[in-house]
Amino acid sequence: MKCAIETSNLAKYYRVYSKKEGLVPSLVGLFRREYREVHAVRGIDVRVEPGEFVAFLGPNGAGKTTTLKLLSGIITPTSGSASVLGYTPWKRENAYRRRFALVMGQKNQLWWDLPAAESFRLHQQIYDIPEASFRQTMAELAGMMEVEPLLHRPVRELSLGERMRMELIAALLHSPEVLFLDEPTIGLDVTAQFTIHRFLRHYQQTRGTTILLTSHYMKDVDALCRRVIVIAGGRLIYDGSLPGLVERFGGYKIISVLFSDGEVPPDLERFGQIVSREPPRMRLRVDRQVVTATLRELLARYAADDVSVEDPPLEEVVSALFSSAEERSRETAVTLTRA
Amino acid sequence: MASTASTAWTILRISMEERLAYRGDFMLGTLMRFLPIVTQIFLWAAVFSEIEATTNRGATVAGYGYHDMVAYYLLTMLSRAFSSMPGLASGIAREIRSGTVKRFLIQPVDMLYFLFLYRLAHKLVYYAVAVVPFVLVFYLCRGFFVETPQGWVWVAYVVSLLMAFLLGFFLEATIGMLSFWFLEVSSLLFIYMLLSFFCSGHMFPIDMLPEPWATVVKAIPLQYLAYFPAAVFLGKVQGAAMIGGLLMQATWVVAFFLLARWAWHRGARRYSAFGG
Amino acid sequence: MRGFARAWSVFLTFARNSLIRDMTFRANFLIELVSSSAWVFMNLGFYLLIFHYTPSIGVGTGWGKWEFFAFAGTGLIINSLTSMFFMTNGDEFGEMIRTGTLDFALLKPIDTQFLVSLQRVEWSSAGNLVVGIVLVLVATSRLAGAIGPGQVILYLAFVLCGVVILYSLLFSFAATSIWLGRNTSLLDFWFYIVSFSRYPMEIYQGRLGRPIRWFFSFVVPVLVAVNVPARELVRPLYPRLASDWLFTLSAPVAAAASFAVCRWIFARALRSYRSASS
Repeated sequence: MKCAIETSNLAKYYRVYSKKEGLVPSLVGLFRREYREVHAVRGIDVRVEPGEFVAFLGPNGAGKTTTLKLLSGIITPTSGSASVLGYTPWKRENAYRRRFALVMGQKNQLWWDLPAAESFRLHQQIYDIPEASFRQTMAELAGMMEVEPLLHRPVRELSLGERMRMELIAALLHSPEVLFLDEPTIGLDVTAQFTIHRFLRHYQQTRGTTILLTSHYMKDVDALCRRVIVIAGGRLIYDGSLPGLVERFGGYKIISVLFSDGEVPPDLERFGQIVSREPPRMRLRVDRQVVTATLRELLARYAADDVSVEDPPLEEVVSALFSSAEERSRETAVTLTRA
Repeated sequence: MASTASTAWTILRISMEERLAYRGDFMLGTLMRFLPIVTQIFLWAAVFSEIEATTNRGATVAGYGYHDMVAYYLLTMLSRAFSSMPGLASGIAREIRSGTVKRFLIQPVDMLYFLFLYRLAHKLVYYAVAVVPFVLVFYLCRGFFVETPQGWVWVAYVVSLLMAFLLGFFLEATIGMLSFWFLEVSSLLFIYMLLSFFCSGHMFPIDMLPEPWATVVKAIPLQYLAYFPAAVFLGKVQGAAMIGGLLMQATWVVAFFLLARWAWHRGARRYSAFGG
Repeated sequence: MRGFARAWSVFLTFARNSLIRDMTFRANFLIELVSSSAWVFMNLGFYLLIFHYTPSIGVGTGWGKWEFFAFAGTGLIINSLTSMFFMTNGDEFGEMIRTGTLDFALLKPIDTQFLVSLQRVEWSSAGNLVVGIVLVLVATSRLAGAIGPGQVILYLAFVLCGVVILYSLLFSFAATSIWLGRNTSLLDFWFYIVSFSRYPMEIYQGRLGRPIRWFFSFVVPVLVAVNVPARELVRPLYPRLASDWLFTLSAPVAAAASFAVCRWIFARALRSYRSASS
């Protein structure tokens, strides 16, 4: 079967002008400009099969959103190629634009002063959706999201969570085969996040839509995606499963010991970093390579009622990975130029 | 006393710095504002040529020859540079509606005084920058100024311009204060803007108006915002009439100063009583 | 054909949604309606005043009182149509670039320029449209000489050309904000340029006037926009001389050329679109 999404060496460089306010400075700026070149995306190769639910992870400014914008044809790449459903996105062909959707948690497209139903009606006409299937899809989606009573209320009166659900419905009315989600849960409370997770999981399972999601929240990723792609400094640094990510980048494990005599013996620091000490329990952070050796030595020396070895928390692994990646990218991604 | 002076200086300085940031836009914007006058000048040239052709003598419209007419339009631009107060009334209205006006009830600074200094700073910066396009335009059009004022008329002209500034300020401030009583003053403001464009003589010399309109328009204070200074410059009002006009203008300034103060005190009292 | 039908229904929905929105803020709507008409009436008062002193505008130009009012009415019709359908959208376009909401327009399977040009309909401008139509009707009825149906059709076609010219100028300016950032001065600039078409083109005489007339006829054809339809209606060009034919033809040519230039600038600008994040 053909790939749903395929990119090869996709790159986007921006020139960031130190733009000035006002007409005259900006006119002057047309001829003499100071700019920096920012390498937002620096050669990304990705293949996504139809029906996959993939998460894009990465620190701020890693190039996740830029990649989604490239794939949806909003911006044109500097070099490289991409094909989504067999189309080149930045040619902006109507045939392609009918078959995908993009939802951005930070921007809204619904008419602020009108009920969402009116914006949906507009989408029906723009996407040329037959009346019967429009009605059916809208009812179905509104039912799943539990927003039927809100359809006829002006969007400005809705809460952020309710608005986000409406944005999702608007994006899905034309039953896209590929869906890009850029931070869909940003700023939402836990309940609202949960509603959206449940909806997305159900929707993806029943429709088999190919979904690409970027998010800050590991919860989103944990709940939804089997495959994770990590981007940092505009480059792909990991592509695989979520447990695999921890395996690869979580360079340590947590050993937890329940001592039999109710006391925690002193000078355990030489085994590793102590995470917590709540007698009779103690948690130690130990390098992955020496876990077995450390365990053996601990059990030989002390009497223990219970011992367990855990993976480090996901959030921690990812944030450590991001901060190291961010440091590296700061050194290389930005070159200062002057013209 | 010293502290008042330093407060005044600080308000002035900060407001001036804020405005200077946009000087380039300013200069271009001022120059562009002369563009509609260009069409107006051509319109009058056509009208005068027609009158001349049909009457066979030096054409005048309401006592204005072609040169006077063009000079008049340029001079009203100068008057408006003194008397127009963009955003003053709507700014006051917005402060009252949003409640930020409270800062003037709490801080030991009088609102009218603060706004006056703020506006003065804006105007000073504006003149410093706009002098370039103004001089350019007036130099290019110097041929239209047949007679320039002599001696005391110059003094009278400058005084009338300064009073136009004061009148514009207190008049608009008074209108802005009305939002203590009415929630929606934007429509009122628009009516004021329209009336002032028409009745201040910005659109045409108000001498052109037939009776009884001429009497009505000359009785209300708006003519002092644009028409009167230009008329003094061009010698349309002279001698006793000029002195009388200046006195009348001064009276309006004092009247609106008192009215603005009164509105502020009554309004502030009403505001703290009914809250917001 | 199917594409046109769809574009039409999308446009109707835009118009409908704008109306719903205007009706939710009815007081605001009324204020805009009344105030913009008040402005027009003030201007008409000024014109009346001018004709109090002169029988016509310029020797031998043929712009007498009623001819001129037909001209002013035509200008009003063209301007109010432009402001009704395009002005708010031109202004909004800069805002869409600043906030990055242009992204959504680029996702839609419909021409992007069409979408952003017609999103909002400013119904309050309809007041001035009516004033303009009434003015033209009254003025033409005061003039001797019957107006044939052919003339009316040509007039309407030329009015349409005028709207296209003003639209193209507006959106060429608006599109530059992709490169220059949001700039209110750009729209002011548009206003000032359009203000040159307020009066008949014959007034631009002499050393300074001729270049102005030439520039605003051939480079930025705002003079063509109003003058051609107004002359078609009230200063009959029959029998047409060769120069009259050229003059009349200038409207559709100028409209087509400005629209083509505008499309080109718009497409170029979209290619440089960078999409502001959040």
